[in-house]
Amino acid sequence: MNFEAVIGLEIHVQMKTKTKMFSSAPNSFSRSPNSEVAPLDMAFPGTLPTVNKQAVINAIRVANALHMEIDRTILFDRKNYFYSDLPKGYQITQQNRPIGKNGYLVIKANGVERKIGIERIHMEEDTCKQVHYPDCSLLDYNRAGVPLVEIVSHPEMHNGTEAMKYVEGIRNIVVYSLTSDGKMEEGSLRCDVNVSIRPIGQKAFGTKVEIKNLNSLKNIESAIDYEINRQSEDILSGKPIRQETRRFDESNQKTTMMRLKTDAVDYKYFPEANITPISLSEDFIADAIATCPELYDTKLNRFIEMGLNETDASIILSDRDVASYFEKAADIAPGKEVANYLSGELSAFMNKNSLNVNTLGLDPVSLGQAINVGAKEKLTHKQIADILLRMCETGEAPEAAQKALGIVAMSTDSNEVDAAVKAVLEANPQSIVDFKAGKDRALGFLVGQVMKASHGKLNPANVSKALLSELKK
Amino acid sequence: MKEISIEVLKDAANRLLFDLSEEEYQTLYEEFMTLKEQMKKIGEIKGLENYEPMTFPFPCETTYLREDVPMEPLSQEDALKNAGSVMMGQIKLPKVVG
Amino acid sequence: MEYIDLPIEELHQALVNRKTSPFELTKVALARAHASKENAFEIIDDEEALAYAASLVDPEEDNLLWGIPFLAKDNFSTKDLPTTASSNILASYRPVFDAAVIERLKAKKMVLIGKTTLDELAMGGTGTTGHLGITYNPYDPTHQRMVGGSSCGSAAAVASGIVPFALGSDTGDSVRKPASFAGLVGFKPTWGRISRYGLFPFAPSLDHVAYFTRDVKMAASVLEALGGRDDRDSTSSLRSVEPYCELLNKNTGVKRIAVIKEIQETIKDNDVLLHFSKAVEALRKEGYIVEEVSYPLELLQSLFPTYIVISCAEATSNDANLDGIKFGPFKGGNTYEEVMKRARSEGFSELIKRRFVIGSFALMRENQEDLFLRAQRNRAKIVSELNKIYQSYDFIMTPAAPSIAPRFEDSSDRLSNEYLIADSHLCLGNFAGLPSITLPLFLKDNLPVGINFMGRAFEEANLLALSSQFERLSGLAELSTVTRKEGYL
Repeated sequence: MNFEAVIGLEIHVQMKTKTKMFSSAPNSFSRSPNSEVAPLDMAFPGTLPTVNKQAVINAIRVANALHMEIDRTILFDRKNYFYSDLPKGYQITQQNRPIGKNGYLVIKANGVERKIGIERIHMEEDTCKQVHYPDCSLLDYNRAGVPLVEIVSHPEMHNGTEAMKYVEGIRNIVVYSLTSDGKMEEGSLRCDVNVSIRPIGQKAFGTKVEIKNLNSLKNIESAIDYEINRQSEDILSGKPIRQETRRFDESNQKTTMMRLKTDAVDYKYFPEANITPISLSEDFIADAIATCPELYDTKLNRFIEMGLNETDASIILSDRDVASYFEKAADIAPGKEVANYLSGELSAFMNKNSLNVNTLGLDPVSLGQAINVGAKEKLTHKQIADILLRMCETGEAPEAAQKALGIVAMSTDSNEVDAAVKAVLEANPQSIVDFKAGKDRALGFLVGQVMKASHGKLNPANVSKALLSELKK
Repeated sequence: MKEISIEVLKDAANRLLFDLSEEEYQTLYEEFMTLKEQMKKIGEIKGLENYEPMTFPFPCETTYLREDVPMEPLSQEDALKNAGSVMMGQIKLPKVVG
Repeated sequence: MEYIDLPIEELHQALVNRKTSPFELTKVALARAHASKENAFEIIDDEEALAYAASLVDPEEDNLLWGIPFLAKDNFSTKDLPTTASSNILASYRPVFDAAVIERLKAKKMVLIGKTTLDELAMGGTGTTGHLGITYNPYDPTHQRMVGGSSCGSAAAVASGIVPFALGSDTGDSVRKPASFAGLVGFKPTWGRISRYGLFPFAPSLDHVAYFTRDVKMAASVLEALGGRDDRDSTSSLRSVEPYCELLNKNTGVKRIAVIKEIQETIKDNDVLLHFSKAVEALRKEGYIVEEVSYPLELLQSLFPTYIVISCAEATSNDANLDGIKFGPFKGGNTYEEVMKRARSEGFSELIKRRFVIGSFALMRENQEDLFLRAQRNRAKIVSELNKIYQSYDFIMTPAAPSIAPRFEDSSDRLSNEYLIADSHLCLGNFAGLPSITLPLFLKDNLPVGINFMGRAFEEANLLALSSQFERLSGLAELSTVTRKEGYL
């Protein structure tokens, strides 16, 4: 029997606003527990919610990036239940009138482009943090009330890779719109996955299993792939699929049961009467969208236009700090050049020394300047790279670093080049034979020989060109 | 609507995290019977289905949204001074499982 | 009789002329409070009150409220002063902030002398369910009659001359009904006119800050101080506050009053009907047009169950934060659920628990359509029909209660088919959020009966002007058990 997997995702995104969703308490990471709390966040009697404008703006921007219909009226509802991390005994959310609905995200997985339907996006508030010890749990209300947007997809994905790409796409949008940090490992982007399988051709959905607490893209892919397999095996061996909530055991790469899902909990939703309906004017919405920081897709296209290939561009964009750094340097020097050094020598240097673009010791403007100076002086790629690395270590200006390293432009004098080339060709007749026999490596060997003989003073690009023209004779 | 019985009421109370005495459940049951009658009568009011459920007493839409400017939060002391079980600047509960 | 028993303008003059002082007034108020027998207090704060009063030495001539002692119902957050909503689940809770109205009254240099009792969590109408027991009606020293609820303590305190003004809250009639039983001005402005920040919520879509005074001028002064936008309460109106005192004697030309036939027909007490018709005559003499109108009887009969369903449903959610964890007595347990369950089982009275179950049941998925949503639809119809009357009339006039304050033995908090329209029609003012005021009408066997006027949303100025005029006609301003009076009507 052939199965198809049906996968839907619910993503909770913590918004990086300055204050909480419904109170003016600061929304920032503090080590001191219960120090970022307004009376409302402790659910003191008589406290009332007030809606954060920036949170609304962020939600509009994300909804727009996901091609959703935006509701012109903001209404909230209460989701009522008791739990230790829920101070009011209810969460203020948008059950009936989510701020956005009926959108989609285009993903590219396994070489195929697909549109994944998105059912809704709505605003709500986070719960407080619980730290569990062997004999007690401690509650910190700093997180209580932090703004969240919840994005619910239609169940239209079919494998782990698609789900992973979907999450990546969502993450790129929330990160680049400055809505969120999008750090799965820190909990500012949280994914719950619903997986079911059904025989191909069947219209009805199979039993849904929920997987929670997936904290990396890789884990999402692995967990789903494992789960699809597990469900297939169970069905084939006659075991029914139970509606349950599972977690992913990273070390064993399997999903394991957390708890059975009982009858859907009744949250007794009803409208929040402490917040009167809020009208969003067309101007407000248009302004929120127009002032949205440049999004991932736009940047990607712009980088490609600069001459970067898609892979390099996506690597740079995978970290917003790196992208920002890149853009500043690319303001001054050719983007393709900047990318080369950034993903080449500088990246290696950062990895080796556990640095990032902020601690590198080389600001993007200086990087751009070094590239331009180098181009003017016709320095080689390696020469410029050496200068850059020196600048990282010493903080010198490009000219000073170059002088300190004693770097001079390599000769492109055609006489010198021709002479050196002739000499090496004469000394290495076998290589000529090899080259003519189709062994391309012979060229590289010969270039190396010329560089060695000339003590690196000849420009390798010119050397290579001269050798080729000689060899082809 | 769910059929009302003492069991159903006990379940409802437990889900609200409290319990009532047996006599009180009986009183509650009688109150429910009365209420059910009264709500049934209301259901017979003609044309009621033409009215949308009303939350607010009158139209009160607004455009006001709070500016995202942080205000001084409560001190840790003020946040916790009314809590009966505190440890290391946090509220202490028996270990929460599940 | 003391300065504190004077009409507010005269009292204010006495302060300005230094014939008396905030300290003197506060001393008298405190003495009366301690001597009172109505069980109206959760706490009397002598030390703070006297210290603050003593610090007020320069009278503010333009501030009618300057230096005057007042009380607040114990569901208003008062910083560092225990606020319990008369419930054991909040025993020893000390708010770390003041309610907006407390802030505004303090800014006017009023002197808070204590907190008054209420029906637990404001959910009741008899003044008998607070955790300190029954609050009595000062007009009946034999303690057989209620002062009503839920704002029982504030009503009893103003009626016995302790202070000229006390804060209450009104969700179904919790200020305007006790005002009738206690011979007081009981005023509930439009929904959203006064910030509810810091007021413990019962049912936000019905809750109003409301209060008791002995005269209309005081009510107008207080409204000037309390009204107006508070950004911490999203539901508070952005409309500007009017100079209500100034407008009290203005001829507004707003003169059409409706009397609802179906409500009148439910009044069985002939004395009430008699004095009501005298009031009608007196108003007509002043140029008011008073006419009988009709309002669908089936809707009037549906008021109480609709109110119970909506208010209990909202309440059950609003009081879900009461779990003994963040505040209130911590009861311990083996699991967090046990901790919550012990606090709630021990902290709530049986009546409150019954109300919560009703409210929760009404919100359950399978019941919402038949209970909660149906009640909300009915609310829409009730309000729609009410607004029809206001197309042709400026005010609605009704008896505030069917008769004098009932005896405890004749009343119950149990839901039954026995409720009377006459007893519950004041909740029209909560469903529609309209400003509504109870004024003393007459006394029967030394027990007061009130009359109620209800106006259009945000037209408090017109309502207060009518009330001011009515007060002159009734002759019962300043009525209290200290200043006994015979009315004119």
